[in-house]
Amino acid sequence: MSILKHRSGAQAQRRRTVLLSLAGAVVAAYFLAPFSWLLITSIMTEREALSTPIHWVPEKPTLVNYLSFFAPSGTRSIVGSRAAENTLPGIRNSFVAASGTAALNLVLGTLAAYAFARLRFPGRTLLMFLHLGSRMVPGIALIVPLYLVIQRLGLLDNLLALIITYLTFTLPFTIWVLKSYFQGIPRDLEEAALIDGCTWARMVVRVLLPTAAPGLVAAAMFAFMTAWNDYLFAVILTSSMAAKTAPAVVAGFATDVTTERTLMAAGGVLAVIPPLVLAFLFQRFIVQGLAAGAVKG
Amino acid sequence: MVRRRLSEASFGLWLNTPALAAILLLIGYPILYSLWISFHRYNLKRPNLFRFIWLENYWSILASDEFWSSLWITLLFTALAVAVVIALGVLIALLLNESFPGRGFVRMIVLVPWAIPPVVNGLMWQWIYDAKVGALNGLLVSLGFLTSYRGWLSDPTSALLALVTAHVWNALPFAVILLLAALQTIPGELYDAARVDGSGGWHLFLHVTFPWLAQPLLIVLILQTILAIRVFDVIYVLTAGGPGTATTTLTWQTYLTTFDSLDFGLGNAYAYIVGIITMGLALIYFRLLYSRGEFEL
Repeated sequence: MSILKHRSGAQAQRRRTVLLSLAGAVVAAYFLAPFSWLLITSIMTEREALSTPIHWVPEKPTLVNYLSFFAPSGTRSIVGSRAAENTLPGIRNSFVAASGTAALNLVLGTLAAYAFARLRFPGRTLLMFLHLGSRMVPGIALIVPLYLVIQRLGLLDNLLALIITYLTFTLPFTIWVLKSYFQGIPRDLEEAALIDGCTWARMVVRVLLPTAAPGLVAAAMFAFMTAWNDYLFAVILTSSMAAKTAPAVVAGFATDVTTERTLMAAGGVLAVIPPLVLAFLFQRFIVQGLAAGAVKG
Repeated sequence: MVRRRLSEASFGLWLNTPALAAILLLIGYPILYSLWISFHRYNLKRPNLFRFIWLENYWSILASDEFWSSLWITLLFTALAVAVVIALGVLIALLLNESFPGRGFVRMIVLVPWAIPPVVNGLMWQWIYDAKVGALNGLLVSLGFLTSYRGWLSDPTSALLALVTAHVWNALPFAVILLLAALQTIPGELYDAARVDGSGGWHLFLHVTFPWLAQPLLIVLILQTILAIRVFDVIYVLTAGGPGTATTTLTWQTYLTTFDSLDFGLGNAYAYIVGIITMGLALIYFRLLYSRGEFEL
């Protein structure tokens, strides 16, 4: 009797595992399929990409689209040479803007989040509402006056302008994630360090930040992604390859009918690789950082 | 040491100064400036007519058909997008919180759309929906669901649904990550206790998981609503507000008024209305959070 029961339990367990794996496969397919189409298009010749009925598997897969980014003066220079030339510098600019945004977020975010997590000061609630409220403003509403501010600062077409702009959009979320994370860390550690004669700054760098590593990684990743993904501000605040980011370059050739589709697809794939690699590397930290922080209440 | 020299209150304020300065300069000032502009007749095509007209821009917006049509489309788009993101987000997060072979892989794959800038996302879906060589047509015809290729983006209803689908795919990972993080904070003892009481399956979900998830769900709801109302890049690449005005949301209408008609006065008034609507929705959500008595700033 008990063996029978046990066996049916094991069977139910197995069925459950199979069902869960199937569901997992469906989810993976949903997230992979659209992107695969972009990947497939990027390794096709233009003729094959425009043929009907469509080919799911390229007959003659080619890397020529990718190669034209690295040697823009090659054979394909006629079709969308501007796009080919600008994609890699665009990705470099995106990387500088997104990393800068993430780094500044951590510095300013840590300071403000520490205050919210540990200190009682006048206007605390008001300030938090101000931070959260600033997220409600539609970007399109800010663009014209922001342009004027940046112009007055002499930062038009400068990556620094993008960094400080993205910083203001990402800080509220960073502060919120870090505040919650800090609140989850026992105060004893800090107090022990301070009693041992550490200065406050030393205590933060040596004790608080290492303990809060997952929260910091999560916050930095969100800031990085927001900065990397922006198009609106990049296209308005920059005008040349001195500061144009990848989305601005991609959108530029998306609306230009002369650029080959397969070339655009390859550019799109290249623009996705850096954030994707970072997301994969830090996946564990991202969920951990939020689990201890933002969503706990 | 610093803490001993400064009072807690002023230290707390000092720590907030850098973040606050950035936000005031790049969001606070632009908000006030655009409010000022929205009280003026200010069209770059006719700059001589610049003058203060109080709320006239707002009245003319409220009296226009474009406003009510784009408001309706915004609400429709937002409701659809947020509902689907929340439903799929909860299901996928619950799945990824179970253990099954391949879970680590699926957790990585979920991050793929997160790393794709909305501009690239728009481009990708444009080729999927393409009337001549799109993957969707190819798939549906080869499966026998369709007999001939369709122009998905040239029919008002399917264009809106296509836009929702593209946006949902891009926005879903953020919701899944937050919800998965929230699920991981549920103490195992809660489930054990409930199981001892003889509950299982649905009962566990309704009485343990769901109450615990309520607050993170509201947070995801707020963030996703803001994201959906602000949606811009994907419209820009995918539908440009069309066909006709089928996908002209308030944000797109703001963009058209400001940068196409160059009517800065009216455009800023539009932006303000979008901001007020977002703020109103956020306040409703915040009230829900507070009324649950679990939210602390």
